Amino acid sequence: MNLAIQPVLLPLLTAVALLFWGRPSPGRRAFTAISAGAQLVVAGFLIHLTYTQPPLVMPMGNWAAPYGIVVVADLLAAIMLGLSSFTALATILYGYCEASPRIEHPLRLPLVQFLVTGINLAFLTGDLFNLFVAFEVMLIASYALLTLEADNWDVKQAFPYLAINLVGSTLFLCGAGFAYRLFGTLNFADIALRARAMSDDPRVTALALLLLVVFGLKAGVFPLYCWLPNSYPILPAPVAGLYSGMLTKVGVYVLLRVLGTVLPHDLAGVHTLLAWLAGATMIFGVLGAISRNFIRGILSYHILSQIGFMVLAIGLFTPFAFAACIFYIIHHIIVKSSLFLVGGTAALLNRTDNLDRMGNLWRQTPLLGVLFLLQALSLAGLPPLSGFWGKYAILVVGLEQREFVLVGLAILASILTLFSMLKIWNAAFWGSSEECEVCVWDWRWLRMSRVVAGMVAVSLAIGLGAEGVFRVANRAAVQVLDQEAYARAVFSVTAKGTPAGP
Amino acid sequence: MMGPQSYIFERLVRVVFFLVNMVALYLLLRGHNWPGGGFIAGLASASSLILLSLALGVAAMPRILRFDPVRLAAAGLLVAALTGAAPLLAGRPFLEHFHTHLHGVPLLGDVHVGTPLLFDLGVYLLVVGIACKLIFVLAQSTQGLRALVAEEERRYSSPLEQPLEETAGPDDGKERTDAD
Repeated sequence: MNLAIQPVLLPLLTAVALLFWGRPSPGRRAFTAISAGAQLVVAGFLIHLTYTQPPLVMPMGNWAAPYGIVVVADLLAAIMLGLSSFTALATILYGYCEASPRIEHPLRLPLVQFLVTGINLAFLTGDLFNLFVAFEVMLIASYALLTLEADNWDVKQAFPYLAINLVGSTLFLCGAGFAYRLFGTLNFADIALRARAMSDDPRVTALALLLLVVFGLKAGVFPLYCWLPNSYPILPAPVAGLYSGMLTKVGVYVLLRVLGTVLPHDLAGVHTLLAWLAGATMIFGVLGAISRNFIRGILSYHILSQIGFMVLAIGLFTPFAFAACIFYIIHHIIVKSSLFLVGGTAALLNRTDNLDRMGNLWRQTPLLGVLFLLQALSLAGLPPLSGFWGKYAILVVGLEQREFVLVGLAILASILTLFSMLKIWNAAFWGSSEECEVCVWDWRWLRMSRVVAGMVAVSLAIGLGAEGVFRVANRAAVQVLDQEAYARAVFSVTAKGTPAGP
Repeated sequence: MMGPQSYIFERLVRVVFFLVNMVALYLLLRGHNWPGGGFIAGLASASSLILLSLALGVAAMPRILRFDPVRLAAAGLLVAALTGAAPLLAGRPFLEHFHTHLHGVPLLGDVHVGTPLLFDLGVYLLVVGIACKLIFVLAQSTQGLRALVAEEERRYSSPLEQPLEETAGPDDGKERTDAD
């Protein structure tokens, strides 16, 4: 059971060790890479364990639920841990290729590890207040990373991120207080058992709506996404890869967890609202992407558009839709991170990522072009790449439920995604002009592309082995929606304190 | 850049420093079952150091402290994390704590000791370090001093960064316009 806490403990201890280590050096980098690799191995082992077994539960401080705080690793949490460890490892390696230790910022690696600590705790926690703590750890590390290598202009762009997330945290605290008033407990399993009897209570709906606002804000759902598209482009490429992959997906994961495992399943109004907000997110996100003229800006808006697909799947609320959502998360995290990294490499080669001044990349660096094309077409959803299967599954559920307008919006968003990806392709890769120099002599791009190629290989494997991945996602979805099994796993752990289970 | 130095204030702070730290120690030790604990004790200790910096000038603090407050905070985090992780080695859950009663300790009699004190100590160090660092850096930047001393600059900033005070110092005069 102690394995469940390792994904939090390992990055935390790594971060503290890095704080003591001081100046960046090759040894420090190797240590971080080994630690990140170990985290990936632990996460892989957790996936292996939870695929066949009930959730792993660890009572913190040996106090039993519901009074003690528990850490619960079920299959969905393990999958998310695997994704976060993989993205962290890839972006850390990419960062090594991008800059020599001499000019690396000494605090970047410790802060990345603190960020991973917060993200992993958010995936593992089985308690609403502890989730708040995890969000705070994650957000504070992300505020620091956002402004670490920033100039005055960047700090101005980062401010909305800080301000809106502070409001979100305050609302989350209100929501946690409200939940405690309503159920007398903050433990997920205990709330699930108590909420079932009061599912026609309007206060439960009110709580669900409040939590929807909080997590929708973290995920970047329609009216609440204004903090994202301007703040992500100011990040250095490796950190942007990690942010774009993981941070908003924590919000999506929590929506899955709260709507699937914690709150009663018959909140039809909330689910419908979520589905329509998702439709709006898809369209407005992709329109924003079309309006932008630099790679990082386009990709930042695409995060929102893709979040719309995932949230639409949650809003449709069937086990198959949940499985589609989980598949889509798996696909999206890897594709989106690697696209940001490709964008960073392209910007390095052209010395700008303004599409007006880019060009000639396909002729000089076909490898990078292939990597971009694979991921961009996957994002747009062309078969047999991974994005196609995720979108296909979501659209099938939508058609089954006769949500033709939403399905139409999703297809429209996909076409517009393809359009904006072609915009990058035409300007930066295909376009040719005399004055665009491609700095191929800058040897860093080759190593950076190798790291990205590793991510693209994983992404291709997901697309080609979609059936296997879907089977895992399906099992995770069934497990998320099975509130009894979750509660049984949590309350079967014997520890100090009075057992208060069923 | 300091204001007028006051002899009375300085002498007083030298005494109050020890009083505040004794209160902090008391808060730290009673914190297990009563109000108190590592966090509040850390704030008390930090306020004593901040008082000292007001009396002697914030520029003198690196010389007096002889350690970097961020290192202190990192040490605290390490102590807390290791206290939490130690039970894992014995196969016990994370953060489990153990207590024992000691009888007939000289001067104190019966004492209840436990590993939560170690955890609290970690929290205490963390809070002292962070609170001091925040206030010192803010005080230094408002007084036109360099925010980081040379040793810290080597440790916490990248060669690509411009020092903060070269662009944002109060004596700088000219505002840097943003490249839009």
